[in-house]
Amino acid sequence: MRPRSFVAGVARCLALSLLCLAGSAGAAELPIFDAHLHYSHDAWDQLPPKQAIAILRKAGLKRALISSSGDEGQQRLYAEAPDLVIPELRPYRSRGEIGSWFRDQSVIPYLEDRLRRYRYAGIGEFHLYGADAELPVPRRMVQLARQHKLFLHAHSDVDAVERLFKQWPEAKILWAHAGFDRPEKVREMLRKHPNLWCDLAFRTDHARAGKVDPDWRAAFLEFPDRFMVGTDSYTPERWYYIGEHANWSRQWLADLPKEVAERIAWKNGERLFGDMLSEH
Amino acid sequence: MLLRFLVLALLASAGAQAQVLDFTDAERRAILRHGPWPAPWAPDPSNRVSGAAEAIGFGERLFFEPRLSPSGKVLCATCHVPFRGWQDGRARALGLAEAERNTQSVVNVRYNRWFGWDGAGDSLWAQSLRPILDAREMGGSQAQAATLVRSDPELSCGYARTFGAPPPADDALVLAGIGKALAAFQETIVSGRSPFDDFRDALARNDFSAMKNYPLAAQRGLRIFVGRGNCSACHFGPNFANGEFHDVGVPFFVAGGADPGRHGGIRKLQSNPFNLLGPHNDDREGASATRTKHVALEHRNFGEFKVAGLRNVAQSAPYMHNGSLATLADVVRHYSEISPDRLHADGESLLKPLRLNREESADLVAFLESLTERASTLPPRRPGTPCRP
Repeated sequence: MRPRSFVAGVARCLALSLLCLAGSAGAAELPIFDAHLHYSHDAWDQLPPKQAIAILRKAGLKRALISSSGDEGQQRLYAEAPDLVIPELRPYRSRGEIGSWFRDQSVIPYLEDRLRRYRYAGIGEFHLYGADAELPVPRRMVQLARQHKLFLHAHSDVDAVERLFKQWPEAKILWAHAGFDRPEKVREMLRKHPNLWCDLAFRTDHARAGKVDPDWRAAFLEFPDRFMVGTDSYTPERWYYIGEHANWSRQWLADLPKEVAERIAWKNGERLFGDMLSEH
Repeated sequence: MLLRFLVLALLASAGAQAQVLDFTDAERRAILRHGPWPAPWAPDPSNRVSGAAEAIGFGERLFFEPRLSPSGKVLCATCHVPFRGWQDGRARALGLAEAERNTQSVVNVRYNRWFGWDGAGDSLWAQSLRPILDAREMGGSQAQAATLVRSDPELSCGYARTFGAPPPADDALVLAGIGKALAAFQETIVSGRSPFDDFRDALARNDFSAMKNYPLAAQRGLRIFVGRGNCSACHFGPNFANGEFHDVGVPFFVAGGADPGRHGGIRKLQSNPFNLLGPHNDDREGASATRTKHVALEHRNFGEFKVAGLRNVAQSAPYMHNGSLATLADVVRHYSEISPDRLHADGESLLKPLRLNREESADLVAFLESLTERASTLPPRRPGTPCRP
């Protein structure tokens, strides 16, 4: 994939999508930007790209931020649907590296090679906790993200997020699952770091039976531009949960003011990643 | 002479000691939690005929009644075969068509809190209606089952003796009654005592002589089960089941999609008119419905399946929700080599590969086999005597 064609393609798709949405506002179901999907090696045979893309379209997704272990996965999906797929580069060649990648020096040449050959919106989702963020491999990963102006998609605790910002104060970080932390702590982090965004993947504590939890509601209303939804297809079977998750998200988002709901559902993702892509 | 006796006594003592592992206090406590057996049980308050002799007899008759299926070819016992450990020995159930899940044995089913692999049933009586109405299993309907019970003199008589009145005109009431009678019968299907139970009780009373009758391989497997294997975290208590749902890394693709497991089960439960929140619950105080009232969907439920009880597990092959593992050795290998990558990093944190060697795996299988009852405690099937109103 060539950088220029990638950017042009995405920009065209974004423009077309926004036009379509403007024309059908209120008439169709709420579009969803799914900010947390994986298409890893064990999914490729069970769900070939055409089938995987069909699932995303059936779910009513406008866009999906997808990474895979190894990287070939989301490249296949991107080739199939450049209007739909936004690729992220995951520092794992197989899902077995979740707990070892940050000590594995061979991850660096892998990242460098992929970044040389392809364009990405970010690096992640990676799992990184506490002081492990100071190890040489994550440090080099942050340098690469800085060099290529990519955001970081971190499945991390507060400590690791703080260390990442310390290494690169201007970093843009998408905090996966918002660290599985309490809404009060998430708000505190959002106040402290203007370049921090949150995905809500694999969480259900913010909404039950279509009603938004009061503490989370306060977070969404204080930071309507900083949240996104995501399914987290960490096993291949969970691709069949993407539609269910989109509908579940629409249900609880309907309990928020419309403008806030639209931002969390898809506008935040479009704005954040559209902006980043246009910088290239 | 005295010296010879002392030497023999010492040798005998050493030999005996070699036959019982030196379990730690923590291991002893963990082992004792798996008994006594049979475990205490109280009739189901949501079923007013639970434990009643007439209901048990009527339920047994219904369990072997082929006409509950309009085809006349499938009965409860088609899948829950008494001489096959009350399951069918197949990977996936086969009624009128093949289903997607393995048939669970109904042995010890009375100890469950949720029913079915996905927990779509919150009572045994409601769960007993599911196969009757499922097109792939018995293919019946509420109206067909109710009409059968009302029109057949024997069944109508059985219903009247069980519930104190003839079957009413309301089909739903009759169907609920069918479920309650079936439940009353299944509640009597309890496994007998196993070699493990004898060992466990001997351990409780420090009866060393009785403890040594338990094979060493089973003892070593038991030590893994309650220790480094952490198996007893989920396979908990006298029935070796915590009653809850987990994703244990077994693939759950089915033709054209994925089996939603507990996620789909909660949806079915909440929309089931026979759930404990509905009008057919006989529990006047309503306490039995508390769990149903508070159950909530979570993303993690997608692909979770119920923890199976392990008593008589050697009789219930093949294993797992889809029958994908043929033997107990395969199951042990699954947990020994389980890929943590299949599990969410913040999900099933209890599970990690056990990395058992060949001998340890064999020991764990020996322990699981020792959970098999020495002899059935069930009475012989009652003869089908005519019903007297």
